[in-house]
Amino acid sequence: MNNKFRSDNRVGWLMAAPALTGLALFIGLPFLLALILSFTNLKLASPLPLTFVGLQHYARIIQDPVFLRALLNNLIFAVVVVPAQTGCALLLALLVNRKLPGMVVFRTLFFLPVIFPFALISVVWMLLYAPGPNGVINSVLELLTFGIWEPQDFLHNQFLALPAIMVVSIWQGAGFQMIVYLAGLQDISEELYEAARLDGANSWQQFWHVTFPCLRNTTLFVVSVTTILSFRLFDQVQIMTKGGPLNATATVVFEAVRAAFERQQIARGSAMTVVFFIIVLCLTIFQRRLVREDRRVG
Amino acid sequence: MLMQTKKTFFLYAVHLFLSCIFITLLGCTPEAESNKQLITVWAHSGQEGERKVLMDQVQRFNEEFPDVHVELTLLPEGSYNSQLQSAALSHDLPDVIEFDGPFLYGYVWQNQLQPLDNLLPAAVQADLLPSIIKQGTMHDQLFAVGMFDSGLGMYGNKALLKAAGVRIPASVDDAWTEAEFNQVLNKLAAQDQDGAVLDLKANYRGEWFTYAFSPIIQSAGGDLIDRQDYLHAEPVLAGKEAVSAMTTLRDWFQQGYVDPNLDDAAFVEERVALSWVGHWEYPRYAKALGDKLVLLPLPNFGQGSKTGQGSWQWGINADARHPKAAAQFLAFLLRPENILAMTGVNGAVPATRSAVVRSPLYQEGGPLRLFVDQLRQSSVERPRTPAYQVITSVFQQAFDEIRNGADVQKALHQAAAAIEQDITDSEGYRSVPRS
Amino acid sequence: MRKILLTLFISAAALLYAAPILFMVFSSFKPDNEVLVGLTSGRFFAADLSWQNYADVFNRVSFGRYLFNSLFITLSVVLLGLVVNSLAGYAFARLHWFGHKALFGLVLALMIIPFEAIAVPMFYQMSYLGWRDSYLVQILPFVANAFSIYLFYTFFIGLPKEFEEAARVDGAGTFRIFTSLILPNSKPAFASVTILTFLMQWGTFLWPLMVTSGERVRPLPVAVAQFQTLPPLQWGDIMAFGVMMVAPVMVIFLLFQRWFVAGIAATGTKG
Repeated sequence: MNNKFRSDNRVGWLMAAPALTGLALFIGLPFLLALILSFTNLKLASPLPLTFVGLQHYARIIQDPVFLRALLNNLIFAVVVVPAQTGCALLLALLVNRKLPGMVVFRTLFFLPVIFPFALISVVWMLLYAPGPNGVINSVLELLTFGIWEPQDFLHNQFLALPAIMVVSIWQGAGFQMIVYLAGLQDISEELYEAARLDGANSWQQFWHVTFPCLRNTTLFVVSVTTILSFRLFDQVQIMTKGGPLNATATVVFEAVRAAFERQQIARGSAMTVVFFIIVLCLTIFQRRLVREDRRVG
Repeated sequence: MLMQTKKTFFLYAVHLFLSCIFITLLGCTPEAESNKQLITVWAHSGQEGERKVLMDQVQRFNEEFPDVHVELTLLPEGSYNSQLQSAALSHDLPDVIEFDGPFLYGYVWQNQLQPLDNLLPAAVQADLLPSIIKQGTMHDQLFAVGMFDSGLGMYGNKALLKAAGVRIPASVDDAWTEAEFNQVLNKLAAQDQDGAVLDLKANYRGEWFTYAFSPIIQSAGGDLIDRQDYLHAEPVLAGKEAVSAMTTLRDWFQQGYVDPNLDDAAFVEERVALSWVGHWEYPRYAKALGDKLVLLPLPNFGQGSKTGQGSWQWGINADARHPKAAAQFLAFLLRPENILAMTGVNGAVPATRSAVVRSPLYQEGGPLRLFVDQLRQSSVERPRTPAYQVITSVFQQAFDEIRNGADVQKALHQAAAAIEQDITDSEGYRSVPRS
Repeated sequence: MRKILLTLFISAAALLYAAPILFMVFSSFKPDNEVLVGLTSGRFFAADLSWQNYADVFNRVSFGRYLFNSLFITLSVVLLGLVVNSLAGYAFARLHWFGHKALFGLVLALMIIPFEAIAVPMFYQMSYLGWRDSYLVQILPFVANAFSIYLFYTFFIGLPKEFEEAARVDGAGTFRIFTSLILPNSKPAFASVTILTFLMQWGTFLWPLMVTSGERVRPLPVAVAQFQTLPPLQWGDIMAFGVMMVAPVMVIFLLFQRWFVAGIAATGTKG
C-alpha cells in the first residue's frame, strides 16, 4: 500500500502537471496580475516609472457614469435575457421532443445558430437591422402591422439598441440550451406520465406537475450559465454598436477592453476586470446557495 | 479487422497532427538569415487601389535594391493604433512603421522612433510641403514623412444643388455660413424623397470622427485641447463655441438630414446631394458623377471655414537594425513618380512640391485645387501631443453620444474631464529619456 | 389533425428561426448593391444571382489563410486539450497523490473565472513577453481548461474500478492502464469535450482581436469583423465570406450531429 501510494504520488503529479501548469500560468497568474496592476498607474508602452496609486482607479470607476451605465446594462440584459432565453429553450425542447416525422430536421434548424460565431452573427444582424423602410426587419414589421410600423434605426436608437442585441443573443444561444433541456426531458421516466394520466391529469397538468419539477436541476443549470454569459457580453457590442448610442449598450467587459486596448490604460482596465470578477463571484455564490437550499427543501 | 485498421489510422492521424503542432510552435523562429538586409514594414490596409500601389512599390524597391529586402504587412485600419501600441510594449514594432499623423507624438514620447534629419537626403526633405514637415516634427526634429497630405471637404452633386436653388461656393473664403448651410439642408430636404440629403460617412469607424468634425469646433472658435500648454481641455472643448457647433451637428442628425450610409453608396447612388469626406473618395465619386461633381469647403461656423490635415506617415523604429536601408526605402517612396502613383489612386494631395506641379488634380485649375488652398490657409493640424490617442478616443465617444441626441454640454464636459485626467495621470506627458 | 397543425406550427417557427441564415446565404449570391433592397419592394427576390461575391472574397482577402488559421488554432486547442485535461482528470479521479484534494478544489474554483475577467492582464502579460501575433498566444493559454478537467473527472469516477484493479494485478503501469483501458471506454467523454472546446474556440473573438495584427495568424471571426470595415463596403462579399466561414463547421456538424447533441447534453447533466 505504501509502495502504491508513492508510485501514485509521482504518476499523479506527472499526469496533472501539464494542466495545472497551464491553469496557473494562464488563469492564476493573470488574475493576480489584474489585482496588482489595478493599484498602479500602468499604461501600455508608457515610459513613465511604475507607481502605486492605491484605490484610485476603483474610486474613479464607481463614480464614472459610463461604467455605472455599463453595469446597469449588464443587469438589464441579464434580467431580460435569462428568463427569455431559458423559456425559449424549454419551449423549443418541448416542441421537438416528439416522435413525429421530420423532428430531426427541426431540431437541427433550431440548433444551427449555435455553430455560428457571434462575430458573424453580429455582422449579419447588422444588415437585418438596417434602418429605413428597406431594412429587412423594418419591412417585415411594416408588412405585419399593415404599414403602421415606422421604420427605425434599431442600432442607433437608445431604447432599441440593447433590445436588438438581446434578440440576437437569445436567437444564437437558445439552441444550445434546447439540447440541454432535451437531455433533461429524455431522462424523465415514462412511468411518471402514466401515473399522472391514471390520475386524470391533462397535458398542461402533466407538464406542470411532472415535467417541470423533474427539470428543476436542468433549469437551475441553464439559468446560472445564462446569467454569467450575460455578464460576459462583448462580441455583439464591439461589432454592432461600439457601446453606443449614448452608452445604451456599453458593458463592463466592453469598457474594460476600451480602456486597456484603445486608450492603453491597463491599470484602469484591470480594475474594471476585478470588479467584473467580483460580480461573477457573487452571482455564483448566490446561485450555489439557492441550489443548496432548494435541495434541502426538495 | 477493418474497424481495427480504421482506428489505428485515426490514432496515427491524431498523432501526426499533434506532432505538427509542436513543430509549428517550436519552429516559429524568423526566416533564415541571408546576406540581404531585411526591413520589416507595417502599413494600414487602406483602399483597394492604395494597397495595390504600395505592394507594387515594395516589389519594385526590392528589385532595384538587391541587397535590401522589404517585407510588407498590411494591418486593418479599425484598431490600427491599438495594434501598434501593444506591439510597442514588447518592442515588436517593425523597422518602418506607418501611422496616422497625430499619433506620432505618442510614439516619440515612448521613444519608439528615431529622427530622420540625418537619415533622409537633404534634397528630399527640402522638397516636402510645409504641412508635412510640421506634422512630422517634434522637439525640433523630424520623425516622420508622408507621401501625401489629406484634404477634407464636401463633395456636392451640382444637379441636385441647382434643383434646390442654392448658392454654390467657389472658394474657402466663400464657404457657406452655419445659418446658410442649415438653409441649404432644408431646401435640399424639401426636394428629397426621404429627407436625408447629407452624407457624413456615419458608417465609418474610429479616427474619422475626430478628423472630420473637430474642424467645426475650431471653425466656431473652440478646440480639442488648449494648445498653449496642452494641459487643459475644458475651456476650449466644453466652452460655448464648441457646444454651439456640436449642437448644430446634433440637429442635422436629429432632423433626419444625415443618411446612415450603411452601404457606403449614398452619394454615388445620388440619394444625397452632399458628402462630407476626404480626398480618398474623389476617384470613385468622379467616376460616378462625372461633370455633376463639385468640391466645396466645409461650412463656416464663425471663425472662417476650417478643415483637417495630416495623413498617414512613415517613421523609422528606434531599434531598427538597418536604419540607412530603411531611410532608403522612405526616400524611394518619396520619389515624385511613386508619390503620383499613390495619389493617383487615392486622390490625396501629393506631399512634395515637385509632385504637386505634376499632378493633374492639384495643379492650378485642377479639380481638387481647393485642397491645396485649404492646406495653405485654413487647415488645422490635430493636437501635437502624446495625449492625442486618448483625446481622439474620448472625442469619438462624445461624438457618438451627441449624434444620438445626448446633452451636448454634458457630453463635451465629460470628454474634457477624461482628457485632463489622463494628462494628469501621465504626469503631463513630461518627456522621459530612453532607458 | 392536431399533428398536422403542430407540424405546421413548428415548421413556421423553424423557418422564422432559420430566416437570418437563409438571408445570409441568399444575399451572398446577390450583386452588392441589391443586398439592401427592401423585402417589400418586389425586387428582393428578383436579383441576378451569381458566384461573383465568392470570387471577390478570394480576390480581396486571403480567405484561405484565415480558414487555415482558424482550423489550426481550434484543432490544436482541442487536441492538446484532450490530452492534457484527460490526464489531469484521471489523476484527480483515480490516483491518490499528495495535495490532490486541495488542488481539485482549486480547479473547481477556477471554473468560475471567465476568460473576460483576465483578458486585460493577460493581454499585458503576452504583450510584455512579446508573444503577440503568433499561433502560440492563441493556443497555449486555452489548452488547460478547468471545465474539461471536471467533465473528464466525473466521467472517470463513474467507470467501474474492477478492470483497473485486475490490470494492476497483472502488472500494468498507470499509463498503460490509462491508454489501453480507460481511453477506449471513454469515447463519450472525449466526444463531449471535443465538441464543447471546438464550439468555444471556433468563435473566439475578443482575444484574437487584442493580440493579432496582420492576416498571418488571424482567425476567421476577427477577419469577418474586419472585412466588414474594409473599403469598399460590399455587403454581398461580406455575406459570401460568412457563408464560407460556417460551411466547414456546418458539414462537420451535420456529420457528427449525434455527438454534438450528446456533448452539450453532458454539460447540463454534469453541471
